[in-house]
Amino acid sequence: MPARILIVEDEALVAMELRFVLEDLGHEVVGTAADSAAAMKIAKETEVDLALVDIHLSDGPTGVMIGRELAVDHKVAVLFMTANPGMVRNGVAGAIGVLSKPTDERIVQDAVAYALDRRSGQVRNMAPPQLQLFEDGPRA
Amino acid sequence: MSDPSPAPSSWTEAERLTALRDYEILDTEPERAFDDIVDLVATLFDAPIAVVNLIDEGRQWFKAEKGLGVRETPLDTSFCAHAILEADRMVVPDATQDPRFVCNPLVTEAPGLRFYAGQLLKSAEGLPLGTLCVLDTEARPEGPTDIQMRALEVLAAQVMTQLNLRRALKQQQRSEAEFRAITDSLPQMVWATRPDGFHDYYNARWYEFTGTPPGSTDGEGWNDVFHPDDQQRAWALWRHSLETGDPYEIEYRLKRHDGVYCWTLGRATAVRDEAGRIVRWFGTCTDIDDLKKMDQAKELLSQELSHRIKNIFAVVSALVALSARQYPEAKPFAQALRTRINALARAHEFVRPHSDVSQPLMGNMTLHGFLAALFMPYTDDAGQPRVRISGDDAAFDDQAATSVALLFHELATNASKYGALSVSGGHVEVSTEQSESGTFRLAWRERGGPEVKGEPQTAGFGSSLATLSVEGQLAGKLSRNWNPDGLEVLIELPGTALSRRKAARTLTTP
Repeated sequence: MPARILIVEDEALVAMELRFVLEDLGHEVVGTAADSAAAMKIAKETEVDLALVDIHLSDGPTGVMIGRELAVDHKVAVLFMTANPGMVRNGVAGAIGVLSKPTDERIVQDAVAYALDRRSGQVRNMAPPQLQLFEDGPRA
Repeated sequence: MSDPSPAPSSWTEAERLTALRDYEILDTEPERAFDDIVDLVATLFDAPIAVVNLIDEGRQWFKAEKGLGVRETPLDTSFCAHAILEADRMVVPDATQDPRFVCNPLVTEAPGLRFYAGQLLKSAEGLPLGTLCVLDTEARPEGPTDIQMRALEVLAAQVMTQLNLRRALKQQQRSEAEFRAITDSLPQMVWATRPDGFHDYYNARWYEFTGTPPGSTDGEGWNDVFHPDDQQRAWALWRHSLETGDPYEIEYRLKRHDGVYCWTLGRATAVRDEAGRIVRWFGTCTDIDDLKKMDQAKELLSQELSHRIKNIFAVVSALVALSARQYPEAKPFAQALRTRINALARAHEFVRPHSDVSQPLMGNMTLHGFLAALFMPYTDDAGQPRVRISGDDAAFDDQAATSVALLFHELATNASKYGALSVSGGHVEVSTEQSESGTFRLAWRERGGPEVKGEPQTAGFGSSLATLSVEGQLAGKLSRNWNPDGLEVLIELPGTALSRRKAARTLTTP
């Protein structure tokens, strides 16, 4: 089932590649945001199922806060994608887990499928081993 | 005494005078302890005159005297100047019968001295400083009694004990003054405590830095000047040192006179007596605030830099994928390139400087920890790793990381295409060994994969990359054995290959 996905990433090339990967899977990318203001604006105006959130953005390490707000206030499934996963080692309320960048297509596909399953309440796909879950869940 | 010739002396007059002045007794006020002794000597000998006499240059000076009424006289008329040339004592029963004194004006004229008995006052080093002596105007042909001479000897020793104590006290005062001068001139704060930890000394710098009134931090008052968050930690560590005698070393924030807390290094060591009991604690506080701030800034910079580097890997990786999108035939190539870049990024993650926050989420910062992270994608249905690592662990640095990452990435990729990881039941055993000769051995053994039918006709780029990493970068040797039950790759590295910056520190895994 196609999902509405928000990309929060300040590196344009990384964001563009992610968009292509997600669109290849048949998902709809509702927007890409490079900072917290843009991310929250999109979340308010658009319905979002899943957000892929980088932590260091153009306005600083605001990703953690964005992820928490999206998950808690907007009930969005949140996956962090960061070069520095230690930043969220203790987990973030409501978020599913973190992928260490750089990553590859296959891992993104698996992680997105798992996150959408978690959101729909029925887990058919397992979490790829590269995805660090904040809470224990079924794994590949 | 009948023999007038002086005993040969083993000292020079200059040495003797130096020793005398070292006592710092000349020209001091009369003291009761010495006055009592000359009184006692006069009584014991039933003589009018008794003196504690010190022979200075050109004069004799009396620390205590009875019956003379002066504190010094010239040396040329001195009896004692002769006495100090004798071994221990000198007795003159009748000066008019002694060639040494027969012409002495003190004998021929007033007061008309006749009898003399003197016991040498000798410094601890054996140098004669003067005498404790007794004089009479009546000749005593029978000489003094044995008891009188014995008493003179004992009392002379008492005089020397007094002088030695006095000198020791002076030296102590001086060394204490020196200690204070030294500690007060140090850039560090210095303190001392009793064995029970009661603070009873701080140098000037402590009061200058903390702005506390002198004496106010004695006892346990010091803890109040610490940052509230550090007080308990410092207190606990200090109690531990007091109980065990272990050296005390801690970093804490100390309140400066202006109220600003500054990072400080506190250290202390125990001073023990001959029996090993702690008698004092001496400690220092060193202001390390600037150093700490510099460290923090450096840490921040290196983290920022590291983050940027990792971001560049992500950007390059994305660029490769994006570029390949237009050329579907290039997709496998792009995919292979990306995984290699990602392996390098992972290597960087492991060896870059880390703070608590940036530590990788899993594993140790060692070779085994790194390999476990690298092989994380290869797990079986039960979630167990399909690449099993055993043997001696080792630290490795950034110079070795990229080569190790590429080597094992290529081996694993190859195994997942053609070898043990290409079928569900296969696995790989990786063993590492720190040999006694210093070389480090790694073995990659594939098990349960498709049957190996000998060496492939052509070596792929991946194989070349693996060989290049080992033989080109790490100065090691790589050999492949195409055993029918699975590929075996043996790698031998020089001991310094993994950690070229610091000598390889091997850790043994249980």
